[in-house]
Amino acid sequence: MEKPLDELVRLQGVGMVYQSSRDGERVEALAGIDFSVRRGEFLTVVGPSGCGKSTLLSLIAGFAAPTSGSVLFEGRPVDGPDPARGVMFQEYALFPWRTVAGNVEFGPFARGVDAATRRARAQTLIDLVGLKGFERRYPHELSGGMRQRCALARMLANEPTLWLMDEPLAAVDLQTRIILQDELLRLWGDARAGAQRPTVMFVTHGIDEAVLLADRILVLGRRPGRIKEVLEVDLPRPRAALRGSAEVARLTAHLWELIRDEAAQAIAEETQ
Amino acid sequence: MTGGMTRPLSRRARVLLPLSVLLVVLASWEAAVQATRTQGLVPHPGGVLWSGAQLTANGVIFQAMSGSLARVLIGFLFGACVGIPLGLAVGAFGTLDRALRPVLDALRSIAPIAWIPMAILWLGVRGNAALFVVAYGAVFPFIVNSSQAVRQVDRRLLSAARALGAGRWVMLRSVLLPSALPMIFTGARIALAFAWASIIAAELAVGIKVAGHGRSVAGIGQLMVETLYVKRDVDALVFYMLVVGLVSFAIDAGLRRVQERLLPWKSH
Repeated sequence: MEKPLDELVRLQGVGMVYQSSRDGERVEALAGIDFSVRRGEFLTVVGPSGCGKSTLLSLIAGFAAPTSGSVLFEGRPVDGPDPARGVMFQEYALFPWRTVAGNVEFGPFARGVDAATRRARAQTLIDLVGLKGFERRYPHELSGGMRQRCALARMLANEPTLWLMDEPLAAVDLQTRIILQDELLRLWGDARAGAQRPTVMFVTHGIDEAVLLADRILVLGRRPGRIKEVLEVDLPRPRAALRGSAEVARLTAHLWELIRDEAAQAIAEETQ
Repeated sequence: MTGGMTRPLSRRARVLLPLSVLLVVLASWEAAVQATRTQGLVPHPGGVLWSGAQLTANGVIFQAMSGSLARVLIGFLFGACVGIPLGLAVGAFGTLDRALRPVLDALRSIAPIAWIPMAILWLGVRGNAALFVVAYGAVFPFIVNSSQAVRQVDRRLLSAARALGAGRWVMLRSVLLPSALPMIFTGARIALAFAWASIIAAELAVGIKVAGHGRSVAGIGQLMVETLYVKRDVDALVFYMLVVGLVSFAIDAGLRRVQERLLPWKSH
């Protein structure tokens, strides 16, 4: 039963059924997911809306348990959230009553790290994500991009092995988005060797983003979400230089081919 | 409507215009009362000023005010001590909510003032009846807002905190409590406004007998009853009304200040 060393997350026959809070109807969000996340890879997850991307992420985060199958993290079943699995949410989910520094410190604070240590660590991260000078601001005083930087720093403060990111850049404007993509790559270690990078699972609607960032792309089909395809992205790093290049455009077009029909169907159903 | 077809007013005009209207109204009021010789039946600005000066100089207004405010404060604190924990519990546990909802709703629907006869019967007229009414009125805003505050806690913040490693205690103290605080505070403001409004009414109802005894501290409501039936001083009555309004304004302004200081992330 020797498991390969480079497997950080393993999903075995994962299915998820829940009751819709709106009409109480049974919704099958995921079915028969067999997949492994490799240690140190940047994995992006794409698929039409309603394909269970976020559900998949919350199962790995430990917010919910699958109705069938199992989720393993470092070989052990996931039972509840854990600081080793950092989560970043689409709508920031910053604590409005805490300043930037207070938010970034929250993880170490919650785990009982002493004040001096967690303050120093928070300051390092705040500098790293470019929020120096905004330590004492509250989230409502920040722009969308700055809030997302703060959320990123907050996640990093726990030094998680796995970064679970649920459409983290969906709520910011296009220019901010490009800048944040580059910074995210830099923080992840885009320019460093693969072995020492953290593992990222990044859910996104943006198929160009999915291509530009990823080592692999997990493509989900819709309702119930199943794995449609897994694409390897064999492009050199650092990636920022490849923005707008022909290779990225070609892969983006290919990815679009894969999900186009279902995306259109999803939109048609939503507008009904 | 501001503006419209006219040019915007200068800063000085914005102050002077309403002020001069006020002065004109007061002056014509005074003149009307003087002309009709109805002083003593109709209050007039000059008389109000005169009565106010006297009641301030001999300290009567301060005594009455401290009597009323003390009851408001005690009733308010009682409301907080009972209402906040009860509200939090009801908000957090659906079973408890279901169990207590009919009783709480029924009690809440009864105007605090309607309790006065009962309160007088049980507690007597020496201020305790008024205190009961105030406490009763103050409990419900605390219950309603505290329970709502717990129900409205942002689920994503709870998830975020759990993912960051928050245990039960950190969750309670550093996530649930701060996120509920602004709404509880709003409840406190409502409760205090209620308390102040109902103390006047309660003292009015309880009033006159106590005023004669001189043993217990008469509040401003009792003073008003006495002023009406015994002294027949309409000018003093208007002065009391003004003071009552001023105090409730000051209380709310003060609480808003406190709210801004304590909860800087919510500025409303």
